[in-house]
Amino acid sequence: MKGLKDRLISGLLLLLSLALCFFSTQKFREQHKKETLFPSGGLASREMLSSYFPGLIDTPGDTEVYIYGGQNPGGNILILGGAHPNEPAGYVTAVLLIENIQVSQGKIIVIPRANNSGFTHSEPQEGNLRGYSLETPGGKRFFRFGSRLTNPIHQWPDPTLYINPSGQKLSGQESRNLNRCYPGKPKGYLTEKIAFAIMEIIKKEKIDLAIDLHEAAPEYPVVNAIVFHENSAELASYSLMELQQIGFEFRLELSPNNLRGLSHREWGDHAQVMAILLETANPSQGRLKGKSSLSLIIEGKDRNYSKAAKFGLLFVPFDGEGIPIKLRVARHLAAIKILLSSFNELNPEKRIEVNHMPSSSQVKLKGIGQFLCPPYRK
Amino acid sequence: MSEAAIFLFMIATFALLAMVLKLPIGVSLVFSALAGSLLGGEGVALHHLVEGSFGYFDTILIIVTAMIFMKVLQESGILDTVTAILLKSFYRRKVALLLTVMALVMFPGMITGSSTTAVLSTGALVAPVLMKMGLSRVKTGALIAMGAILGMIAPPVNILVMIMGGGVDMPYVGFTLPLLIIVIPLAVSTSLWLGYKNIKIIEYKQMKEVLPESFFKKYGFRLYLPLIIVIGLLLGQSLMPGIIPDIGIPAIFLLGSFLGIFCGKPLNILKTTQKAIEESMPILCILVGVGMFIQIMTLTGARGWIVTSFLSFPPLLLYLGIATSMPLFGAVSSFGSASILGVPFILALIDKNAILTSSALSAVAGLGDLMPPTALAGIFAAQVVGEANYFKVLRFCLMPALFAPLLDKLI
Amino acid sequence: MFIVYHLIIFYLVSHFIWYLFRENEFWKRVSVALVLIMFLLRLFLIK
Repeated sequence: MKGLKDRLISGLLLLLSLALCFFSTQKFREQHKKETLFPSGGLASREMLSSYFPGLIDTPGDTEVYIYGGQNPGGNILILGGAHPNEPAGYVTAVLLIENIQVSQGKIIVIPRANNSGFTHSEPQEGNLRGYSLETPGGKRFFRFGSRLTNPIHQWPDPTLYINPSGQKLSGQESRNLNRCYPGKPKGYLTEKIAFAIMEIIKKEKIDLAIDLHEAAPEYPVVNAIVFHENSAELASYSLMELQQIGFEFRLELSPNNLRGLSHREWGDHAQVMAILLETANPSQGRLKGKSSLSLIIEGKDRNYSKAAKFGLLFVPFDGEGIPIKLRVARHLAAIKILLSSFNELNPEKRIEVNHMPSSSQVKLKGIGQFLCPPYRK
Repeated sequence: MSEAAIFLFMIATFALLAMVLKLPIGVSLVFSALAGSLLGGEGVALHHLVEGSFGYFDTILIIVTAMIFMKVLQESGILDTVTAILLKSFYRRKVALLLTVMALVMFPGMITGSSTTAVLSTGALVAPVLMKMGLSRVKTGALIAMGAILGMIAPPVNILVMIMGGGVDMPYVGFTLPLLIIVIPLAVSTSLWLGYKNIKIIEYKQMKEVLPESFFKKYGFRLYLPLIIVIGLLLGQSLMPGIIPDIGIPAIFLLGSFLGIFCGKPLNILKTTQKAIEESMPILCILVGVGMFIQIMTLTGARGWIVTSFLSFPPLLLYLGIATSMPLFGAVSSFGSASILGVPFILALIDKNAILTSSALSAVAGLGDLMPPTALAGIFAAQVVGEANYFKVLRFCLMPALFAPLLDKLI
Repeated sequence: MFIVYHLIIFYLVSHFIWYLFRENEFWKRVSVALVLIMFLLRLFLIK
């Protein structure tokens, strides 16, 4: 027969368990709060992704779609940020576009948080910070640092083996990786629905050129790269030369035919658009990264990576100066700008005219914050 | 405070708690993670600690449900019945017995990519047969643990390769042959090495004496239903995707357990679940602790420091580094080892054939499931054969385990 | 499947709590309490 004391101890332990849950809950819940974005005056309309595919209504996968221009016909461009929420330069570049650009001819559609659910949690055992702040003239703006994968409380359980909509076998957790789920499935997993909705945008908005903004670890071979579908080979090589002329080195990578489910492959195959994926080098997502800190995310400095560079283990130069986020965002901006101008050269009948796009040299010089709205409503 | 110092402090705290104060390993890991977090200047990073443990949430679910299934097999008499069949068919054929047993143990690992699943499903079935045929507890355990790990590495499903491939964007295509070349010689030699000398060929009369009671006559064919359903579903989700639904390993095991209630000797499923939880609790807590430990290692930079240090070895030492660090890190989890060390190692060896490299690395990482403190394969194998000290089981795994990295060198 | 797994978690949480009150050894009970945290957070769909 168990004594009262024993029951008391068990009861206390249960209470302790509940208390620890309670105290950690607050931090986990906070991650679901979205930071406010302040679109520029050039915004034509703000839609939700679910308006293109109703299957996403009232799901955590639904996300904002910002549409610019459209009054004067021309080229239609889709720019995707936040497909992997642990790659901050992709997200921040999309935000910079949203808060600055005006489009006088053609149309630009920006989705800053493509995998909205991925922003609501962080990856176990990666020890990442919950977010980072960028200094604007009117104060600090906070941005969330999320996970590469959809939140398991939104899509669970993972299959043992994931066979993506294009038939590729992947480890189960990749079913939560948006950039493995294309062209998506209307009745599939949440992440597949998001991928399907993005395909719907591409088709319904008659997109000509689609750009997916990413980052990769410095030890990963495809970094500082333009990955292109064969549809956009001419555009990519044309842009590469122009980028080299203004001092940005990029690798050109043809999207491999046997690697299925990725944006640069399936957007081109299934919607015949010119598909481009951009990669910069982000030490805060690598396996060699040191202590998680703001300086790792913002200044991109890391002793381990400096050391690894000396041993020739990296695919980008890396020294004590690090690779700051402003430089990575500047690379994305430069690439986007030149991709657009090359697009105009190659498709004069479908011109796209963008004004007030932050210039890469200015971002590099003055920092990102100078081009962000202050953290209050205008 | 340097990363190395924090890491050493965490290890020291763990050693103190686990060895001197004799706290359970899991609890010691939790406290040493907490100590690392304090020393690293993160305070009581509660949300980090909790988040880290979630890295093993899916593994924990598989373990609990597999354990429930195993207990159901035992209590419903299914296990005894299957043992009786195997014993009757193989009591005079030594090599055939050993190879069949090896194949049986490997099978669930081959289709699920999880060594725990293998040990706790078919591992549990063959253990009594081997022991009744004269193999010692520890050698039986070792054979099952090795079989499970080889099954995990063997095609068609090798999650370790998939994880590494995911990190370097390499599709899971063309791995069948290289993986078979690694696994088959190891499987044959391991089973014969561990069993050939000790297994006795017995007479019919002797066999009759050790034969457990078969419940087949009483319950008929339905006795096998739980096993058939579990194996069928495990098989179906990888061989016939889309036709047989992928309900996930935990649900498959629970479905099997549920069927077990009606298919054999009557049992109280609530009490059986309690027994399963009681037995699996130490390993569950270890996984929680290890998860927290890694999260704090990553947070404080200790993980990056370790990975970078190994990578900066000169080429010859790099191979040695791979052969030691990957199984060592596998102490934490072989999947973690594949992701955290496997991916950088593939990149460091990028001038070699990536398919062969990652096949070989997966074999090395798989051995991590033998490494204490988690030693998933070892612990469960010990449990299946009823041996309290899993280190004894591990001792016999050492030989074949050492052989695997050697083979990789050749590749 | 989401609901099925939610039910599995619920079933296991109840068993963990039952076991917490059944077990006598202190550190084993601490282990249960630690494992329980995760399961509760998933049960309430927080993490």
